[in-house]
Amino acid sequence: MVAPTVPDLAPARTGRPILGAPSYGRRNPRSSWRRALRRQLLPLLFLLPSVGLISFLTLYPLGRLIATSFQNLGAFQLVQHKVVWDGLANYRTIFASGGGLGTSILQTALFVLAGVSLTMAIGTGVALLLGRIGKVLRTVVTVCMLFAWAMPTSAAAIVWTWLFQQEYGVVNSMLTSLGLNFSNHNWFGSEIGAYSIIVANIVWGAVPFVSLMMYSALTLVPRDLYEAAAVDGASAAITFRKVTLPIVRPIFVLMTVLSIIWDANVFNQVWYLTQGNAQLLNVVPLGVWQYIEAFSSTQYGLGAAVAVIMILLLVAVTGYYIRLMVRTGQIKVEAKA
Amino acid sequence: MTSPISMAGTRTARYRYMTWVWRAVAIAFAALTIFPVYWMVQSAFEPNSDITSLTPNFFPVHFTFHNFVDAVNHTAGVGTAYFLDDARNSVIVVTSATAITLVFGFLAAAAVSRFRLRGASGFLVLILVVQMVPGTALIIPIFLMLDNLHLTDNYFGLILVYAASTLPFTVWALRGFVRGVPIELEEAAMVDGATRFGAFRRILLPLVLPGVISAGVFAFITSWNDFLAADVIMQQNNHQTLPVWLYSFTTNTGTDYGGLMAGCTIMALPVVIFFLLVQRRLVSGLTAGAVKG
Repeated sequence: MVAPTVPDLAPARTGRPILGAPSYGRRNPRSSWRRALRRQLLPLLFLLPSVGLISFLTLYPLGRLIATSFQNLGAFQLVQHKVVWDGLANYRTIFASGGGLGTSILQTALFVLAGVSLTMAIGTGVALLLGRIGKVLRTVVTVCMLFAWAMPTSAAAIVWTWLFQQEYGVVNSMLTSLGLNFSNHNWFGSEIGAYSIIVANIVWGAVPFVSLMMYSALTLVPRDLYEAAAVDGASAAITFRKVTLPIVRPIFVLMTVLSIIWDANVFNQVWYLTQGNAQLLNVVPLGVWQYIEAFSSTQYGLGAAVAVIMILLLVAVTGYYIRLMVRTGQIKVEAKA
Repeated sequence: MTSPISMAGTRTARYRYMTWVWRAVAIAFAALTIFPVYWMVQSAFEPNSDITSLTPNFFPVHFTFHNFVDAVNHTAGVGTAYFLDDARNSVIVVTSATAITLVFGFLAAAAVSRFRLRGASGFLVLILVVQMVPGTALIIPIFLMLDNLHLTDNYFGLILVYAASTLPFTVWALRGFVRGVPIELEEAAMVDGATRFGAFRRILLPLVLPGVISAGVFAFITSWNDFLAADVIMQQNNHQTLPVWLYSFTTNTGTDYGGLMAGCTIMALPVVIFFLLVQRRLVSGLTAGAVKG
């Protein structure tokens, strides 16, 4: 739900002396490798648990995922501990017409496109709004957003099924009392209805985080820059474009990347809001599809192939933004350790 | 040509008018944002007869705790109530995973920001790359692997999965907090005879404790929320966690919305309270890390 942040990658290098590495003079050429090892031993010991856990539960599974995607692995092979290499069969099944890949990619793209653009537009708008209202009202809005942000996605999605419930849902009754004919309207009866509600739920859950981050970023813009712009007679639009935007752009790009990643992986919201009828309603973004293939149809190989495609697509899309962040200096990767 | 005075007048009027527009928009947005949460709590305290009425009450007129009793005793059509089991599982698994991720994350953050360590950059790149791999996509191989090791349907397996999935973020966040503490404090302690480890424990750790708590709450919420891993790895009903319990609740009884909302409230409330307590630091910490770098 919350953010993995992506600050710069450089280890602390502030010119201050660093523990264990005397900054005076050059390294004694006679100091043995043992001494160097001893100096590195403690930090290495500190890193070991993290590296171990990540290797064991992320890197190894990643390799195994790729391997599995080339295997014919069903319930039978799993119980028998058989490894049956199947070449590109899983990928052929997926890419075959009627394999569902086109639909699934389209639906994932739709979630990303609608979810990310709405989240970023509303989030930025609310951040700007927060700067224009008084302190009391700002606190009220912030507290409301914190409640929405903290709601677990599963509970939130279930609450939304109740809000939009056909007979007794409060949304239908409110719309009806406004004079619209929504009594007994089944929001989950059509693909488009289910889609709208899932996207609305995603956006509702993501906007608080984005707007609070964007608001924090906006407060970083120095006041005197605005004053200078006003003295120079710049219009509001020009001030926004030339003063505000350059300063908040790094956060904006970061939030966009995170939103893309979240919305491309959307699972909980789809699963809970369709109450397990995702397939029936034909709402199957890649994350849901691979789960269904693997755990409902016990076709682990096929599911793995879908997951591989999902990762590749995500890397292709976010790669562009990450390069942008590296270029604008938001991520600094130093060549030398 | 308008005189300067009247021009200033219209500008102020326009400004005032816009201020009221912004206020109205803000209030509407706040109401929309909080409404689902409010409605959850509202329905949780209403008797079923009021819930299934065509004109909903906007306050629980006939206030009742009955829905909570219902939710806790709900049998999901299999004869046994799992709520207490699953709540206990959730607490055990999520707390252990959070503890592991904090200890590992703090050590790693100290290693990369307090030592001139060969490979520190490499490690940070690794963390960044790992963060980009969607957890949803890894659930198949993780299941297969834990199945091989006979760690499915076992607390330990799920704890490790949650610890691993929250670790990258924890390292990032804690690294930001550690860098905010001047290294001179630890050096002073070491001059006074503290060991390096002692300096970490007695000087650095207390100073970054607020950061540790924020990162901990984040890790806690992420794991508390998860449906996928718990559903796949834990197989028996009484070994599941609350999100899975909530799901079985929906599919089995589509109509008991009072009980369902009570269940959602039970699941959401501890997290929301936790979150409100530490949010200020979390937001400022996140932005500090992201903007300053």
